[in-house]
Amino acid sequence: MTTAEAAFTEDLVEVAGVRIQLRRGGTGVPLLILHSELGVPGWLRAYEHLARHFTVYVPSLPGFGQSARPDWIVSVRDLAAWVTWCVRDLKLSQPLPVIGSSLGGWVAAEIATMNAQVFTKMVLVGAAGLQPDEGHVWDYFMHSNQEALAQAFYDPAKSPEYAQYFGTAWRPEDERQAELNREMAARLLWKPYMRSHTLPALLRGISTPTLVIWGREDAIIPLNVCQRYVRAIPGAMATVLDRCGHLPEMEQPEAFVQAVLDFLAPRA
Amino acid sequence: MVKEVYFFTEMGYTAYPQEDARRRGYNNLMFPNAHFNPERAQQLYGMYFEELQYCTESGFDGVMINEHHNNPLSMMPSVNVIGAVLARTTRKGRIVFLGNVLPIHDNPLRVAEEVAMIDILSGGRVVCGFVRGLGQESIATNANPIYNRERFDEAHDVIIKAWTTPGPFRWEGRHYEYRVVNPWVRPLQKPHPPIWIPGVVSPESVRWAAEHRYPYVALAPPLHVTDEIYDLYDEVAAQTGFTPTSEQRGYVIRVSVADTDEKAYEEGRHFFWQLGTSFGVAPRHWLQPPGYVSRAATQSRREQARVGSANVTPGGPSLSYEEAHATYQIVSGNPDTVIKKLQRIIDVVDPGFMIFWGREGLMSHEVAVHGIDLMTREVIPAIKAYQPDREKGRQRRAVEAAATR
Repeated sequence: MTTAEAAFTEDLVEVAGVRIQLRRGGTGVPLLILHSELGVPGWLRAYEHLARHFTVYVPSLPGFGQSARPDWIVSVRDLAAWVTWCVRDLKLSQPLPVIGSSLGGWVAAEIATMNAQVFTKMVLVGAAGLQPDEGHVWDYFMHSNQEALAQAFYDPAKSPEYAQYFGTAWRPEDERQAELNREMAARLLWKPYMRSHTLPALLRGISTPTLVIWGREDAIIPLNVCQRYVRAIPGAMATVLDRCGHLPEMEQPEAFVQAVLDFLAPRA
Repeated sequence: MVKEVYFFTEMGYTAYPQEDARRRGYNNLMFPNAHFNPERAQQLYGMYFEELQYCTESGFDGVMINEHHNNPLSMMPSVNVIGAVLARTTRKGRIVFLGNVLPIHDNPLRVAEEVAMIDILSGGRVVCGFVRGLGQESIATNANPIYNRERFDEAHDVIIKAWTTPGPFRWEGRHYEYRVVNPWVRPLQKPHPPIWIPGVVSPESVRWAAEHRYPYVALAPPLHVTDEIYDLYDEVAAQTGFTPTSEQRGYVIRVSVADTDEKAYEEGRHFFWQLGTSFGVAPRHWLQPPGYVSRAATQSRREQARVGSANVTPGGPSLSYEEAHATYQIVSGNPDTVIKKLQRIIDVVDPGFMIFWGREGLMSHEVAVHGIDLMTREVIPAIKAYQPDREKGRQRRAVEAAATR
């Protein structure tokens, strides 16, 4: 579909053996966006801004949104393999820049540990995959879907996209979609919870230029994990956004986009 | 006809402060175990074991036991430990495990070994039930609920094969893998103890039980959903190639019996001892962690009926004590009244065995024992002699259903 205020398309397409929901828009070189364990609720403002500089591709990962859930994807590494096939089958010119949020950040990092030829630059946003030095990753599976979304925002009341996507009474289909996302997340992330025991060692081998973006008030994955990523990935830099929780692309879209553009396209 | 009657209690840990549960909105999983007092538990275990022993000696055909974790509802976090004790302290009667929570085990052969030991220790008195566990059990043991049913199926298969196929052999499955399956201790009963599948009306469990020709034991459901349960069972049985008899139907029912209807009604309140509920309180996402209820089941009418049914899962929707009488989730009264009410259930279900959930909560030991006496002297002989009229039972159900629509 194409709407007046936001030029993008949304299709169900067969990619790398899985029928997925794919949103895309914009012009220019491709930019791949990998969403979080909460799925992607729509064509976000941040994507709209980025689409002025890139052709933005936002696939709903297998098992999320309206994408099918193949039996064989049971781990983040399985998902990472599928993402590389997805890039190939969509015929995106490689290498290309990637933004990965939380689960999506972990997926991007796994790919970069295995193959430096997929991504030009990598932006990890509140990335999952590492155990905090202090505190715990907030446990989605001990809480309801509504509680999770409230927890993911620093100030839901002041976030227009929280209000737009999650703030009104949920319809049965919204409940169902959130539950499907949660099931796929449980499949990938239940144990060890939201982390990999081998990722800390693997990150040392990454040569892809990396920016780590974190919400200072992230109440899902604490800020100290940002420092862990920066220490582990050679040459990685960090941008910490104020008054911001686990989903900077939704809660602070302007600051988020600026940080991304400064990193991906400094001349702009 | 009812051939056997068993006794059951959850063995509740009744000494926790209800006020704290009310304040928190839950009484299990995350409810602080600082409220547990082992000395008090020792007294309670003593009382419960004495009563179970008494049941086996005074006219019950045996006792039922089960397993729950992180939950004052039940002081039986290991059904096999409870069963092992009963195997040596009781002299007769079957010990009905309903049951081992298969998906939470990473080594199901341990279950095969323990049940085999207990079967021998008891002289072949074990009935072996398998369950998926409550949602909370997946969280308490950190067994991914997404794989709950897959693990249930595979653990069952490996246990049955370990009991029926001479070892050693290899097992290479999706969730379990063994270089050597060769448990030394194997059950006394051949080929293995009878398997019963208890459930709270989940259609997949009913179907699975029928496919395996295992008896299905309905756990104190509202009477109006039992037709559906056993219709589904019969339907699947027909596809599987057998005609179920009452031997395939078990029924658990809360029973409060006393000298007068009034007294039994008052004592029956103890079944609803946790903030006025029978099972306690918990948020929905604990009861149904991700994937615990399959997509297919979620969309089925039966599953919706089940989820909407009160008093079928701990922490689920709960009818008040008063209303639970109307749905036959508890029967109370003097022996004659209770016999009539049970006959009403028997007319609908025609179960081969019944399990009287016969004491709960803060009911005193003396009252519980007197209730046991009334059950064994009056109620059990009467219902075992009763010839059910299933056609009549169903017609009455249909008339009632039409009237309430």
